[in-house]
Amino acid sequence: MDNASTVIRGITPATVDLRGLVKRFGKDVLAVDDVDLFIERGELLTLLGPSGCGKTTILRLIAGLERPTEGQILIDDDDVSRLPAYLRDITMVFQSYALFPHMNVFENVAYGVRVAGRPQEEIRERVAEALAMVGLEEYAQRSTSALSGGQQQRVALARALVIRPRVLLFDEPLSNLDAKLRKRVREDIRELQQRLGITSVYVTHDQEEALAISDRVVVMNQGVIEQIGSPHELYTRPATRFVADFIGSANFLPGRYDGRVVDVLGYQRPHEQDLPSGPVTVMVRPEAIEFARPGEEGFEATYLSSAYLGPVTEFIFDVTGVEVFATISGSGMSRAERGDSVRLRFKDVGVSLLPPD
Amino acid sequence: MGLRFSGAWLPALIAIVGFLALPFGRPGRPFLTIDPNLYGWAIGHPLLWLVLASALAALVISLLKLPTSPRGDLLVVAGAVGLGAGVLWLLLTATPFGMGALVAATGMALVLGHALSESGRVQGDAFIATSILIVSLFVLLFIIYPLFMVLRSAFVIEGAFDLSQFRRTIGHPLFFFLENPRSAIDEVGLTLRWGVVVGLLSAGWALFRRQRLPVVLARLVLGGVLGLILGAMFYGRGALPTSLLTVAIVAPACTLLGLAFALLGQRSRFRPVRRSLDVISVLPIITPPFILAFAMIFLLGRRGIITHGVFDISSNWIYGIPGVALAQILAFTPIAYLLLRGSISSLNPALEEAAQTLGAGPWTTLKTITWPLVRPGLAAAFLLSMIESLADFGNPMILGGDRNFLATEVYLSLTGRYNAHEAASYGVVLLALVLLAFFVQRWWLGGGSFVTVTGKPSGGALAPIPRAIEVLLSAVLVVWTLFVASLYVSIVVGSFAQLWGVNYSLTTRHYRDFMTAGWPVFLYTARVAAISAVPAMLLGFLVAYLVSRHRFWGRRFVEFGSLLSFATPGTVMGVAYIFAFNTGPWLLTASATIIILALVFRNMPVAIRAAVAGLAQIDPSLEEASTMLRARSFTTLRRVLFPLLVNTLVTGLIFAFVSAMTAVSQVIFLVSPGNQLATVLLLGWVEQGQLGRAAAMGTILIVSMLLTILVVLALAQRISARVVRVES
Repeated sequence: MDNASTVIRGITPATVDLRGLVKRFGKDVLAVDDVDLFIERGELLTLLGPSGCGKTTILRLIAGLERPTEGQILIDDDDVSRLPAYLRDITMVFQSYALFPHMNVFENVAYGVRVAGRPQEEIRERVAEALAMVGLEEYAQRSTSALSGGQQQRVALARALVIRPRVLLFDEPLSNLDAKLRKRVREDIRELQQRLGITSVYVTHDQEEALAISDRVVVMNQGVIEQIGSPHELYTRPATRFVADFIGSANFLPGRYDGRVVDVLGYQRPHEQDLPSGPVTVMVRPEAIEFARPGEEGFEATYLSSAYLGPVTEFIFDVTGVEVFATISGSGMSRAERGDSVRLRFKDVGVSLLPPD
Repeated sequence: MGLRFSGAWLPALIAIVGFLALPFGRPGRPFLTIDPNLYGWAIGHPLLWLVLASALAALVISLLKLPTSPRGDLLVVAGAVGLGAGVLWLLLTATPFGMGALVAATGMALVLGHALSESGRVQGDAFIATSILIVSLFVLLFIIYPLFMVLRSAFVIEGAFDLSQFRRTIGHPLFFFLENPRSAIDEVGLTLRWGVVVGLLSAGWALFRRQRLPVVLARLVLGGVLGLILGAMFYGRGALPTSLLTVAIVAPACTLLGLAFALLGQRSRFRPVRRSLDVISVLPIITPPFILAFAMIFLLGRRGIITHGVFDISSNWIYGIPGVALAQILAFTPIAYLLLRGSISSLNPALEEAAQTLGAGPWTTLKTITWPLVRPGLAAAFLLSMIESLADFGNPMILGGDRNFLATEVYLSLTGRYNAHEAASYGVVLLALVLLAFFVQRWWLGGGSFVTVTGKPSGGALAPIPRAIEVLLSAVLVVWTLFVASLYVSIVVGSFAQLWGVNYSLTTRHYRDFMTAGWPVFLYTARVAAISAVPAMLLGFLVAYLVSRHRFWGRRFVEFGSLLSFATPGTVMGVAYIFAFNTGPWLLTASATIIILALVFRNMPVAIRAAVAGLAQIDPSLEEASTMLRARSFTTLRRVLFPLLVNTLVTGLIFAFVSAMTAVSQVIFLVSPGNQLATVLLLGWVEQGQLGRAAAMGTILIVSMLLTILVVLALAQRISARVVRVES
């Protein structure tokens, strides 16, 4: 934060408050269905969900590129719901970067300062500052088409930061990069965001990206919020089956819970979770299953098939007629035959309870 | 966050100043006369006080320190009341609007635009909201209202709904009659025979296909009706059957020729063939629509080189349907070609190859793959040729002879018989026919248009046309090219020949005549065309931008309006402008202004289409990025879209200029002494038989248009190259 103020002056991060937000397109399409969400000052919050879940619509609503059908958007207590986009102190980094093809790197970054009518001197200073921040000082006079994807992405970021927005929006900024570069750029973005302490909303459909970059993640489905939480919370304690399935993968097994012990597949296991007693769905991550050593508690399973993936092996077992899949490190049962019987157990983490289906 | 003051304060102030300093009305045609009695405050009408009061209210509210949105709501009320009161006063008193009204209305429209944006009722900033408002008002005033006045003149007489005039017009022999007592043949009997024959043929075909009885009976009736219509077209006289028969010849001919040329252009083995087609596609743009008809008199008329010179016949055969149809085929085939070129080139060769790998023979491939894909293009070309033929004015004027056509009757009934109701009735019939064709086309092609647009032409070899067919098509093209070339040459020769058909010795007499009688008019026309081209292009660009990039209430209306102004025949629009702007609050006739306005709204749709195509190439997120960097939309237009579209815009500008230069039907009503236009003068000279002088003017028109296009297009390429260089 202190460092940030020396790098870019004048960024004062804001809070964003969405209240009862609804967006309809035409008569039938309900893109966003009554969403309430509070975004803290300086945090990076990710909207995660499959395509068509409404995450991009929410981003565009905050930006002012769309008007809400109902509900309010507050930025630091100011209601901006009906304010045009250019009057909100918000800016956005686009999926396609949207770099102006007829301007060079310098002109692209200068654009926001130039149209604000600032003097030449200030424009030069601020552009240099922003380009330095993303490590592209040398490239000011280059044409944008002469840059690599990652560099274009950083120009887009510099162009957004140069106007000192109070909220920064990211619309799937990494989806046009290849897998390796994606990892590096997302680390750069996260590092810069934390250094500047700028309130950021980030949209992605890539769960790994969401977990890696966010302070908090909002999982959305069909226009509504499924769950809000830190990456750790979402992974270890998903609130719904959708969340458990969307983030990582999971087995869903029928069970019973009495407040202290969960009974699943005939296997009694102490468990603490704030849930009423009765039937439950037990979510078990594939990596939470391991072979039971002799003498350890566990349950019987029948081996069906496996696929060797190097660091881990993926197994499919049959447990009392239910298929269970597990990823277990090491090669384990390389010579097992279909129908062999084994004993398995659950690890301590990676098991969580959901309301019954 | 938000705005401290509303941006509406300045336009509100302008409205107040305009109201106080300039007269609200004017006594007659001239704009700049100042009649002290017609100041808004001097008239003292309550509605006018309301205009002033709402402007003052808007000024005060703008400067109040209120939250942006509620203040915007208040301003919406003030702006709407002010604008509404002013317009209402003009309508009630039918006083021609004055400069004060113009300034005040503009000011209040801007207030309303700012208010709509700031209140959040229109998504977008003040520029967008104002543009939407002003474009909608323009469409209303200069497209919808004039056409409404045509309907009104046709059906309302002395304030009451009255069909008698309309009935008299369509009952008149000039419109339609079948039985000619002075002719030897029995027209009614022959027509009936046509009905019976076509009905039986159609029913017989249905029987042959083993259809069920109700279907066969329906075919009998439908075929009978079709036969009667065909018979009536063939034997009947009057404007309706003449126009329809011409259409029935011209539309299929243009479509087939267009298809032939498109096939050659896409799949010919010879490069020169493809190059010559590029030339053919540009010709109609640089040529006034009736020049070829005029040249046909040189070649095929009574003293024509071919008819008289080669075959030694001196006949009037080209005056009438044959000549008009031939002239129209020559003029409109390039249009059909351009349409079909798109649909032929979008045929993805991979599709035909795929069909063949699935076991379809050439004939099956043609029937199941190629034909369904080409059909929309054929339908579009057919219907567009229909519309052009119906709306055509110049060719029937020159070659119509003793036959009358719908489009020319609109003109003749107003300027020859001084019957406004009759002109309006003809206009209604013509408009109905054209709109019917137009909407049939939209309906047929609308929605599931399956032109395979994928952007890039995909690989795969184009199947060449069978050699025999290619030779045949090439022969057609050669004949066509020779004929058209000789027509153009004959104009140039005619401009230097003493007297065509009699004395071919060289002279510059016609050019000297042209310099005295035509040159000032030519310059004036060029000036008017240039003035009209700029707003036509800007307005077209603005409409294209609004319609393709913004969602707003009334978008459909703007789209419909510009479609209407494109589809409406020029003569109908011309007569509509006379009805709409000859008296009352919008008095504009007998001025250059009305000509310019007519040309602007005539050429706007072409600019719209060019701009829509250009915008489709640009990723909308560029504009959103600009907005997110706090640029207002006008800045975005200027700094992002304009540099990227400079080429498209200059091309649009030049086509707007050229088509304004060559337009005739929409302006022939609007010219007045001192406001004469080159094409109208040229048409007059041809009708008076001053062919040498007309040829001189035609030559100069064509050559100067050609030069303009070449020079400006070359310039546009340099400009856009420089824009890119400077900016990057």
